Amino acid sequence: MTDRQPSVQVRNIGKSFGATRALDDVSFDFFPGEIFGLVGANGAGKSTLIKIICGYYPDYEGEVLIDGKAVHCSSPHDALNFGIATVHQIINQGVIPDMTVAENLALADLLSKNGSLFCNREKIAETARIISEPMDLQHLDMNQMVADLSQSDRQMIAIARALASKPRLLILDEPTSSISEREADVLFDKLAKLRADGVSILYVSHRLHEIERIADRVGVIRDGTYGCVLEKPFNVKQIVTAMVGELDHVDDRLPPIPAANEVPKIELRNLVVQAGDAPLNLKIYTGEIVGMTGLIGAGKTELANVLFGVARPVAGDILIDGVAVDIASVNQAIDTGIYMVPEDRMNNAIIPDFNIRENITMPFLDRFSGFLGLMRGRQESREAKRMIGEIGVKCSGELSRIDELSGGNQQKVVVSRWLMTTFNLLILDEPYQGVDIRSRHDINVYIRSHCADGALLVMAADLDEILEVADRVVVMNSGMIVGEQVIGEIERSTLLHWTAQSSDELRKTR
Amino acid sequence: MKNITALSIKYGFLIVMIASFVGFGLAEPAFWSWPNLFSILLGVTIYAILALGVTITLATDGLDLSVGSTAAMSVMMASYSMVVLELSGIAAVVICLTIGALIGLFNGLLIVKIKVPDLLATLGTMFLIQGLQLIPSEGRSIGTGMMLPDGEEAMGQFSEGFLFLGQGRVFDLIPTPVIFMLLLAFVIYIILDRMRWGRVFYAIGGNAEASRLVGAAVDRYRIMAYVLSGLIASFGGVLLAARVGRGDVSSGSGLLLDAVGAALIGYAVLGARRPNVFGTIVGAIFVGVLLNGLTMLSLPYFWQDFIKGVVLVSALAFTFSLAKQR
Repeated sequence: MTDRQPSVQVRNIGKSFGATRALDDVSFDFFPGEIFGLVGANGAGKSTLIKIICGYYPDYEGEVLIDGKAVHCSSPHDALNFGIATVHQIINQGVIPDMTVAENLALADLLSKNGSLFCNREKIAETARIISEPMDLQHLDMNQMVADLSQSDRQMIAIARALASKPRLLILDEPTSSISEREADVLFDKLAKLRADGVSILYVSHRLHEIERIADRVGVIRDGTYGCVLEKPFNVKQIVTAMVGELDHVDDRLPPIPAANEVPKIELRNLVVQAGDAPLNLKIYTGEIVGMTGLIGAGKTELANVLFGVARPVAGDILIDGVAVDIASVNQAIDTGIYMVPEDRMNNAIIPDFNIRENITMPFLDRFSGFLGLMRGRQESREAKRMIGEIGVKCSGELSRIDELSGGNQQKVVVSRWLMTTFNLLILDEPYQGVDIRSRHDINVYIRSHCADGALLVMAADLDEILEVADRVVVMNSGMIVGEQVIGEIERSTLLHWTAQSSDELRKTR
Repeated sequence: MKNITALSIKYGFLIVMIASFVGFGLAEPAFWSWPNLFSILLGVTIYAILALGVTITLATDGLDLSVGSTAAMSVMMASYSMVVLELSGIAAVVICLTIGALIGLFNGLLIVKIKVPDLLATLGTMFLIQGLQLIPSEGRSIGTGMMLPDGEEAMGQFSEGFLFLGQGRVFDLIPTPVIFMLLLAFVIYIILDRMRWGRVFYAIGGNAEASRLVGAAVDRYRIMAYVLSGLIASFGGVLLAARVGRGDVSSGSGLLLDAVGAALIGYAVLGARRPNVFGTIVGAIFVGVLLNGLTMLSLPYFWQDFIKGVVLVSALAFTFSLAKQR
């Protein structure tokens, strides 16, 4: 390792936003032919560092060196010319859905000043073919609209395009956050090939198991400062320790054992979510946390939407305390005591112009209003402060704007808004996306302490996230519940097998 | 430096307003006389009222472009009811407000149920209403003594009480429309800023899908915003009819732009960066002060729209540029 020259180095990088010191004296080296994992809790400064390297923030302290020479990128375009290509977290900012695969791949050519004035279909097709080659995208129809593709294919297109400029450093920001585990495997294979070709890859992720699996070295940023660099071999526990210090140990909890005659809090009886799906049967008892895992597209979100009144089921019943309920709308679900934290926090949960207090009290405004619907501000503030304190939102007060919080703290606000009152069923759909490990822990402790009278259903594709919180793990695959295990009797290999089975295999075994 | 930016975001607009108020008074002492001050207020009343409705629709992230023609419709219907149909003033008001609310309902249903985008839907309605209001009087202005299609003269009159709505003075000084404007502004302020409804309006404007997923009846609130807007606009039309005392076919012209302008200028007041009642009223009054003052300093009338445009664009640029650096 020492005889090699780093392709890109960052030296003593610092950056402030107003009074907030986002980064302070951070240095890392990125070598050719290695995958460098960058980790840090939410708000630790990962995104800031990436944005400095890729030219998004032109004013910063310290320097960026490429092949030993200091350079200054004042725009992402500059950075690309210096050989730094970035694929950002939000895939759809990297591809244009209304254009074909070929056009997306050849986009740089289409936009270049030297390009021809008119679109030459053959030339675009040719360019696209060349660009797509290293990523093995031959299975895609080049004339298909990107809007019709899966998230992972879009991701591959964005990466292929980033690679077209033959970058020295490829930055991938949370590349697996919206693709399934199987799709992630494909991505990892591709990354390994690129590494063999000598590309330097900066891989940013919250998913530490991925980092453990693919990274050669791991850099840790902690509270905006350099934490450490771990050389292979390392494991997740070491990374976590470096990131946030020792976490409270997740104790080997015992699952609550329902009495033989106990009526389940929630029961799904032959519930058909979508036409053609197998009927679902599931019981969740009072005080129990059921973790539901499965790949993207396994039917988790669709089930959540049916339970929360967003969509109507095709057939079957939902029972609360043994009584069938009809949930025709979100309002009805809420009246029935069924609440949901939706999957897409930014688009479906947060009201960005509102402060924390207003975001927390949104679902139960009538509790804070009296005569003629006049709001009782003091009572509202008191309650919001209580919630913020209990779940541990890091903020300067209940009147701070929500969009100034980190992802983890935003999620705490979104979760706490439902826990102001008792519930029958609280559904959390992918609640840990973009949430740092410390916040995840806080959220888990909090929901566990509040589920004494209700049932919890936590859905996540990441098995580790589920195992951390659940009493019982249920696996969904192709719209079916394919198996379940109680905590304490978990066999990861079986769970993974259930998760990974293709729908053909499922049909054969059933 | 940071404090200066923060202060100028918050108070910049009010400072400019007070400065121009003082400046005009120093240059032309008659500017400060009570009658003049009330004539400024009276001048902005109608479009300020319309702007209140626009503010509600803006809060839900919509925009009602039909307020001007709704007000004009109201002017024609009030005149038609009293002059041609010889109904009472109260009946005329009830008819106007009902029609206003129905126009709002039509807008709301078009937007929520048929899913026509706000701007297009209300633009369509604007045309529709503008045309519709001309039909009963066959395109002519309505006044006592006008010739009816059957050859007779219309003998109805604007009732005293109705005229008082637009021409009365309280304490022989404060014009009644000004009092209505302030009352209405207070009510809308309470609704938007102090009541549960307002919170939901703003929540929908901020993120409609998130609002739906916490149980807000998004569709109903959006329809309600347009109904309120139509209702308020038709009330503005009633006051206008009462002030002019006849049904003028061209009475609605210019109201829409002034109303939308005032609501948008309101974004800059107190650094709100969002539609708000206080800002809307202050914005409307500011435009009035400016036009009145400049006219006194003998600025030709044809400069007026240009000045309004300058104020609007500067206010928007100020709000969005300074506030972004925050």
